[in-house]
Amino acid sequence: MLVDDSAATRAFFAQLAEKCTFDLHACAAADEATTLLDAHVPDIIFLNVMMPGKDGYTFLREVRTRGALGATPVVIITSKDYAQDRAAARDLGVNEFLAKPVTGLEIKALVDKYCLQSAARD
Amino acid sequence: MKPYFRFWGVRGSYAAPHKTHLGVGGNTSCVEFVCGDQILVCDGGTGIISLGEDLVKRQGPQEMMVLFTHYHWDHICGLPFFQPAFSPAWKIKFFGPGDSAADIEKRLSDQMKAPYFPVETESWAAATEYVEAPDGRFSHGLFEVIRFDVHHPGVTYGYRINVGGKSVVYVSDNEIQFLKTSIEKRKEEFEAHEQGLLSQMIDEHRESEIALFRDTDILIHDAQYTPHDYTMKRGWGHSCYVETVNLAIDAGVGCLYLYHHDPSYDDAKIAAIHEECLSIIRDRGSDMECHVAREGDRVEI
Repeated sequence: MLVDDSAATRAFFAQLAEKCTFDLHACAAADEATTLLDAHVPDIIFLNVMMPGKDGYTFLREVRTRGALGATPVVIITSKDYAQDRAAARDLGVNEFLAKPVTGLEIKALVDKYCLQSAARD
Repeated sequence: MKPYFRFWGVRGSYAAPHKTHLGVGGNTSCVEFVCGDQILVCDGGTGIISLGEDLVKRQGPQEMMVLFTHYHWDHICGLPFFQPAFSPAWKIKFFGPGDSAADIEKRLSDQMKAPYFPVETESWAAATEYVEAPDGRFSHGLFEVIRFDVHHPGVTYGYRINVGGKSVVYVSDNEIQFLKTSIEKRKEEFEAHEQGLLSQMIDEHRESEIALFRDTDILIHDAQYTPHDYTMKRGWGHSCYVETVNLAIDAGVGCLYLYHHDPSYDDAKIAAIHEECLSIIRDRGSDMECHVAREGDRVEI
């Protein structure tokens, strides 16, 4: 799952998903993702921080309280490449932190890593 | 009386009470907004100390709301010396980044705990309240306030303040065009077919920056660095004045106040920065007003 208000970032992930054959559920807003999570549990969530409406950190705190869903790996992808933001993300229990722009190789490596872990658990 | 605001502190980073700096002012961030008997304050840098001394002398209302953009020192370090907080006559509401009212209180009060300060917030005599605003909107008297996230280390807010049919946007700390330079640095790592999407990301980010300030009557914005100093301090969360003035023009701002001046810049250097900004405005054929935020200046809204 990708949660990002940037249409270009969603398009970038969609191209990569097609090329690397993974399923992508892309949401433009945190509330849209919250609704989708009622019906679908992803193997990994890529999450932007600064978004109109609910920000990424608020969404993350909500996800972490949702039972089994709370253990879903979360990767922050943000333009805010500051040490304090990396620390704040770590305190909130994110699994990875990537500063934008994010390359296809970086995304693919994390999809492989966490989807393999998910498959091993299953 | 028309609503107005007054600059009590205009410096960024740390106070600069040097003879060569006092034409602009040496205190750190604090702006007071007044509408009738309502008082709204943005940030509690050292400027809030003089504001507090003035407030306790006024024969006016004894209620106010203080908004914090974030909790870096230069925005909170005047609060331990804010006289109204120590007076039982006053009611003070506080708002800023935080997960809850208790979290906001903790962030503000921790700076007054031992070993950093001799008197804790428990000694405050004013009636204090820490405000939550889950949807980011609230009112204080006739002021309508909308908070939004800006580009600065940690969670940092900007505020749109609507009053008397006018809009003032207060953004003390904001690094403009950060994503653009991040993309330019790594552009070669991306494949040819991805370059178009990178350009689209830059355009989207610019549009989102413009949207925050679109058609604002008065913008008070971070303009801390010269282009030369910005190259050495990229990633510190502040803007070069060239980016600030261009963004304000692009957003159709009516009047820009250059704010959060670097404490190492004296009056002459800030005057030169102002001249450069006016030159950019002329060259772009804009009719936007542009002023240096000066301590003590009062501006009708």
